[in-house]
Amino acid sequence: MISLKALSKNPFKSLLIFSSITIAVMAIFLISSVSQGIIGMFSKMIKTDGDIIITQKGISDTFFSNVNIALMDKIDKLEHVTTSYAMIVGASPIGHIPIAGIYGTSANHFSHYKLSSGKYPNEGEVILGENLAKQFTTKNINIGNKNFEISGTYSSEIGFEEGGVVMNMGDAGNLFNRSASFILVSSDSPNEIDEIVKKISNLNSEIEVKTTQNFVKEYNQFKIIENSSFVISTLAFAMGLMGIASVMSMIVNSRKEEFGIMRALGKSRFFIIKNLFFETLIMSFSAYLFALFLSFGILALLPHIEMLQGYVNGTLSLTSAIYVLASTLFMALLGSLFPAWIASKTDPILLINQGCA
Amino acid sequence: MIQASNISHFYGSEQVLFDLSFEIKSGEFLFLSGESGSGKSTLLSILSTLLKPSMGELLIDTEAVDKIKNIDYFRQSKIGFVFQFHYLINYLSVYENIALAAMDNKKENINRILDELGILELSSRYPNEISGGQRQRVAVARALVNEPKIIFADEPTGSLDSKNSTIVYGLLAEAVKNGTTVVVASHDMQIQNYATKIIRLKDGQIL
Ligand SMILES: Nc1ncnc2c1ncn2[C@@H]1O[C@H](COP(=O)(O)OP(=O)(O)O)[C@@H](O)[C@H]1O
Ligand SMILES: [Mg+2]
Repeated sequence: MISLKALSKNPFKSLLIFSSITIAVMAIFLISSVSQGIIGMFSKMIKTDGDIIITQKGISDTFFSNVNIALMDKIDKLEHVTTSYAMIVGASPIGHIPIAGIYGTSANHFSHYKLSSGKYPNEGEVILGENLAKQFTTKNINIGNKNFEISGTYSSEIGFEEGGVVMNMGDAGNLFNRSASFILVSSDSPNEIDEIVKKISNLNSEIEVKTTQNFVKEYNQFKIIENSSFVISTLAFAMGLMGIASVMSMIVNSRKEEFGIMRALGKSRFFIIKNLFFETLIMSFSAYLFALFLSFGILALLPHIEMLQGYVNGTLSLTSAIYVLASTLFMALLGSLFPAWIASKTDPILLINQGCA
Repeated sequence: MIQASNISHFYGSEQVLFDLSFEIKSGEFLFLSGESGSGKSTLLSILSTLLKPSMGELLIDTEAVDKIKNIDYFRQSKIGFVFQFHYLINYLSVYENIALAAMDNKKENINRILDELGILELSSRYPNEISGGQRQRVAVARALVNEPKIIFADEPTGSLDSKNSTIVYGLLAEAVKNGTTVVVASHDMQIQNYATKIIRLKDGQIL
């Protein structure tokens, strides 16, 4: 097959196209999947343990929200409410680590964090996520200028949490100067959730009550991440695609002489375009597969990179993989076949001479 | 075999061929001579259908070139080319280069021609693995493979030493003996010894 010969006899050019396509495709995958991963982790954290979330009215970010923990007594008395618990999420320097997540939680929620050693914390104590624990050998730890005793370590499926510490509500409240960031409520009856939301809303005028489903959908931080990652990955994608198209057309231009010779020998335009089509297809498809493979590899490694402490995670959706494949092939073919088509209309001798120059 | 009438050619606004009319008869060995820049390559490209003339009419084998429906088939079956710089395809072997040009029913000629030209043992080598003289012989073999009615050669010995030049001229003369019409553009006067007709060009006009 002549396309394969052309590719294998010009290994440098082939490698150039191959790696430029690989890099472009990988950039697209990594940028979009990492941001999707971050969103996925955070929404998982909120969704797994509650049906309803209560935050401070008008405060769009859980970091700044302050809700009175005393509400929980009233909420627990509502019909169809099984449990409720409060959380404070914050971030602060921990020992020599410049910034890490801090999760204050009411005692009935400690079980969410699976103990891998020690015991759950009392007042003045913390447990460390496993990733963070690797960084400390001491018995005590300094968090926001306060000293805590380490009572144990925990593991979690959620990368965020493994890089942070868990403490009691009271301690976190002192640290971040609030009652609770949000309260999560579980119900035993999915049909009643809207009703419960209404009832809780009526308890207090300073709160905002939403199903966790809706909260995740509308959460501003997610929108910001999503929008900016969309912009960045679209730009990376566009640049990658233009790179692919321009490398392809450079290669085609450098082969004008060859096309001129083929035309002089009586080879048809169709013959030339057909061979180039297969060359481009083989090249861009294999580069795509390679990029996909590398991206999966990198995404699988990310959670294990200590420096990132599990904060960066990535998932790659089938739709985006297909979308990227289609556009990669399209641009590669456009970049090669369009100039080849134009070239094939030129008088053969001019192609041969242009190729020389 | 070839009838050229009132051929003129312009590159942009610069006219390089001026109203040329002449005839090339079947079986002739025509030598297109002239200094560098006189228009030999341009005329040869036009005669060989690789360049459309700005003006004028060209008949090859009684067919008007601008009316030919399948120019690809016409080129492949009737015309052979030899260029100054061999123009072999670098990613194909000697054999494959010739096979690329060969029509399906002429593929059996390949080994015979390679043998006649003394390059059969180079069949599986690539163009960058053989000498300049050998490459040019491969180019001649490629031009001969379809047993064309006409062979065009533009400075076929331009990059060869005199020993290899003589070999190439010998091969072209051999083709003429077998009934092929050969048109060679060159500033090398050595061809005079082989040619049956000479057309001299100067500044795009026939002297
Ligand atoms: N592709 C081209 N574009 C513009 N001018 C050209 C081109 N090819 C040749 N010429 C000009 O046409 C004239 C004739 O060139 P050419 O046919 O190559 O002559 P020769 O083969 O006798 O040296 C020269 O003046 C040359 O500069
Ligand atoms: Mg010339």
